[in-house]
Amino acid sequence: MPSNWRLKTYLSLFLILFSVYLLIPSLLGFNELREKAEKEGDKPPWYVQLFPNKQINLGLDLRGGIYLELEVSVDEALVHRSEIIVGELERFLKEKNIPYQSIRVLPHTSILAIVLQNSEGLNAVQSHIKDIYGNSLKELEKPPQLVYRLADSSEEARLAKFQEMVQWAKGQKQILDVQLDKGEIYVVLDQKASADEVNQSILSAFGGVLQQAPSMPSLFLAQSEAYQEKLKDETLKQAVETIRNRIDRHGVAEPTIQRLGSNRVVVELPGVRDPDRAIGLVKRAGKLEFKLVDESIPDAKVKELVETARTENKIPEGYTEEIVGQINEALKGKIPADSEVAFEFQYDSGTKKVVGGIPYLLKKKVEVSGEMLKNTQVSVQNNEPYVSLSFNPTGTKLFGDLTSANIGKRLAILLDGSVSKAPVIKSAIPNGEAQITMGYGDYQALLTEAEDLVVVLREGALPATLKVATKTVIGPSLGKNSIERGFHATLLAAAIVITFMALWYKGSGVLADVAVIINVMLIFSCLTLFGATLTLPGVAGIVLTIGMAVDANVIILERIKDELAAGRTVKAAVENGYKNGIRAVVDGHLTTFLSGVVLYQYGTGPVRGFAVTLMIGIATTLFTAVVMTRLAYDYLLTKRHVTKLSI
Amino acid sequence: MSRMFKKDIPFMKYRWWLFGFSLVLNLFFVGFLFTHGLNFGTDFKGGLNLVYQFQTTTSEAQLSEILNKAGLDHFVVQKFGIDDQKTFVIKGDLHDSKLGQEGKLENMSQPFTQALQAALGADKVSLIKEEYVGPKVGKELMTKGIYAVVWAWVIILIYMAFRFDVYFGIGGIAALIHDVLIALGAFALFGREVNLTVVAAFLTIIGYSINDTIIIFDRVREDMVKHKGMDLVSLVDMSINETLARTIITSLTVFFVVAVLFFRAEGDLQNFAFAMIFGVVTGTYSSVFIACPVFIFLKRHGHRFGLGKKKTAVAST
Repeated sequence: MPSNWRLKTYLSLFLILFSVYLLIPSLLGFNELREKAEKEGDKPPWYVQLFPNKQINLGLDLRGGIYLELEVSVDEALVHRSEIIVGELERFLKEKNIPYQSIRVLPHTSILAIVLQNSEGLNAVQSHIKDIYGNSLKELEKPPQLVYRLADSSEEARLAKFQEMVQWAKGQKQILDVQLDKGEIYVVLDQKASADEVNQSILSAFGGVLQQAPSMPSLFLAQSEAYQEKLKDETLKQAVETIRNRIDRHGVAEPTIQRLGSNRVVVELPGVRDPDRAIGLVKRAGKLEFKLVDESIPDAKVKELVETARTENKIPEGYTEEIVGQINEALKGKIPADSEVAFEFQYDSGTKKVVGGIPYLLKKKVEVSGEMLKNTQVSVQNNEPYVSLSFNPTGTKLFGDLTSANIGKRLAILLDGSVSKAPVIKSAIPNGEAQITMGYGDYQALLTEAEDLVVVLREGALPATLKVATKTVIGPSLGKNSIERGFHATLLAAAIVITFMALWYKGSGVLADVAVIINVMLIFSCLTLFGATLTLPGVAGIVLTIGMAVDANVIILERIKDELAAGRTVKAAVENGYKNGIRAVVDGHLTTFLSGVVLYQYGTGPVRGFAVTLMIGIATTLFTAVVMTRLAYDYLLTKRHVTKLSI
Repeated sequence: MSRMFKKDIPFMKYRWWLFGFSLVLNLFFVGFLFTHGLNFGTDFKGGLNLVYQFQTTTSEAQLSEILNKAGLDHFVVQKFGIDDQKTFVIKGDLHDSKLGQEGKLENMSQPFTQALQAALGADKVSLIKEEYVGPKVGKELMTKGIYAVVWAWVIILIYMAFRFDVYFGIGGIAALIHDVLIALGAFALFGREVNLTVVAAFLTIIGYSINDTIIIFDRVREDMVKHKGMDLVSLVDMSINETLARTIITSLTVFFVVAVLFFRAEGDLQNFAFAMIFGVVTGTYSSVFIACPVFIFLKRHGHRFGLGKKKTAVAST
């Protein structure tokens, strides 16, 4: 008998007992007992406390829940950052009294364009930018936009020409956008485009009515690549953080929120009963903005413009972000360049469905935004829930200035781009308090909506829009069914394999069977210990392991048979059988393990669960089928002096 | 009892016949890939996968009719459960005209649920699983799946070359490629859905098959040391016969297990088991009839192609 048999025996016994200890809470459902006790404010029963607070972590496919992969539009964050910088620079220009024509972010890019009225302030601006933004902004050498002037003619003829040009530009890959502002046409170029080439083609198409505007001293700034990478990374981190906070507030047990690659977030919510609400909460942008209503065009005229734009351009009904974008695109030139159209939803009081939208013409500039909020809470007045807002000092000051300077005008409150309300400013509001009323509907639904809105506003806006890339919702009944079926299949497969082995190899087969049973136990306890997730394919992995685990024993037992047939003593046969068999067993299992590793690397969700059980299964198989059975033979041969093997 | 396997079957005598047969079989199955095409699942194609449970017994035809009437097209209705006619899976396409109009991909299940509830009663229909995969993700998952299989081959080749030698390695990989191609062909032939779980099955087949091959190769390696100077073909035959009992018993136990899964499980798991049933058969077959002939050929002629030197080709243990 090998000298370290004692150690091995103790180790094996310890492992078996330990895995029983780990599995008891899962088998007896201690977590439920624990939760029940906690709900009632009691301590869990003493026998529950005795065991670890760990249970097998069931995957979403077994317990029901939501799996979401959200794509974060990181590019949006870049544009947003450029907009902030524009605000900062504009303040600088005003402070220093540098006369400027325009300062803006070029549409469809994150490039900042500053056009000055004369070249005097140019150096000051350049050195200021260098001081403040350093390497994060770099000056573009070739201008990313071309400016043209339309030949003098009537306003209407100009507009028609402009629209013709917009249509023409749609077919040009090098042109990102065309805009009309104060009689000048701005053509935004793709960064790779050749300005000369585009200029040529524009002049050849519209040369008669168009001429290049005299170039003004201007600066074009792009974010450096390193800076963009950093911003994107920050955006994704922030998205993960914001989502996590919202979900935590929502009260979902054991959510998993992780980033995936360079622009995705994975959200797993086990056991959620109202998936739509949860997804809505996660996905809601939570962007709160206050914008002034542009009163230069009367409401009725705006409505008319929108309707003609819809019919002329065949824009479908609806008020999604996409559709509103199309409408604004179509209205170009007809509305001031610094204004845009947004809608207020109209609800059917019965079904609570959106039945229409009131268009508003709003100034593009965001006067006050959600970042300046100090507190938000749900209040109820006259049985109508609403959300009350209070601003931080900056917000309070801006809000106060804004309201006092625009008395009699309307101020639109926008939530995620749609108007929630546009009240007339009756007097200055110096205390920084505002309200958002809910739509129409039954009290309980409105209250829930108000509560969700508060969660979203409190945790802050998402740094960029999220798009659902993939979604899986599994109802709890499917999960229960799957567990039962998987469990039955496992039992049946195990029973067949065990019977077969016992019949074929007799006593030695029974020994191998014991090893398989211990093996399955060890797999489950490893899953518990490592907090790995058991998924439905994972169950299949365990079933397969049962089938394959006996292979190790079969290899060794066949070797022993060969040795016995060659006339060796039982002891020598066992010795040689293990010695020769083990090499093949290890090589075979290691390669299978490697394919498990590859699967883990490339798989997602349930498939990963399968890879995990497969890998754990191989490790435990090597232990039970090689170490443990060997120990048993050693015991039989040296302690019991068995001379005839039942094989 | 195992005496019944102790035979001296001259497998390798017919190795070229068998190898040729396998080649034809492979071409045949690869042919299915081209003629039938693979039925990619939602994972890879992108789209909607909705599992509904009904209180009353219904049928594919009835459900299709209801949905067609509601103006939905581009979908497939399939029975999901194995026992009753109450659980069905509806696979919606991203090209569905109605869904396209809705413009909101995330709530794509709504028109289906509404149509079914309107026809069968709101409380009689419950959506128990909803899966939406965007087209981008679908493509990514497909690439990942292909990478997974190819990487498994590469890693196993490296491992085999390292632990055995290049000839054994290439023999093993040839068998693995054979197995995956046959399994893919079988999926094309039977029109079964290929999704991520099936890729997992392919990798499991790879693991199983290489295990099987290694057991034989290990014995070949051992016999080469024991019986130096013996004719290679007879030596490989001897090794195959020596391990035959184990090969049969193990493939039987694994076969039992996957058969149980195939008949007892539903949905994805059944697909998994379907792949495995093929895998167990081809994995066992290919170890003897693909891996061994390729090994013998390379061992004899490999040095001509610059694969290893003749001297080091003697197996080391």
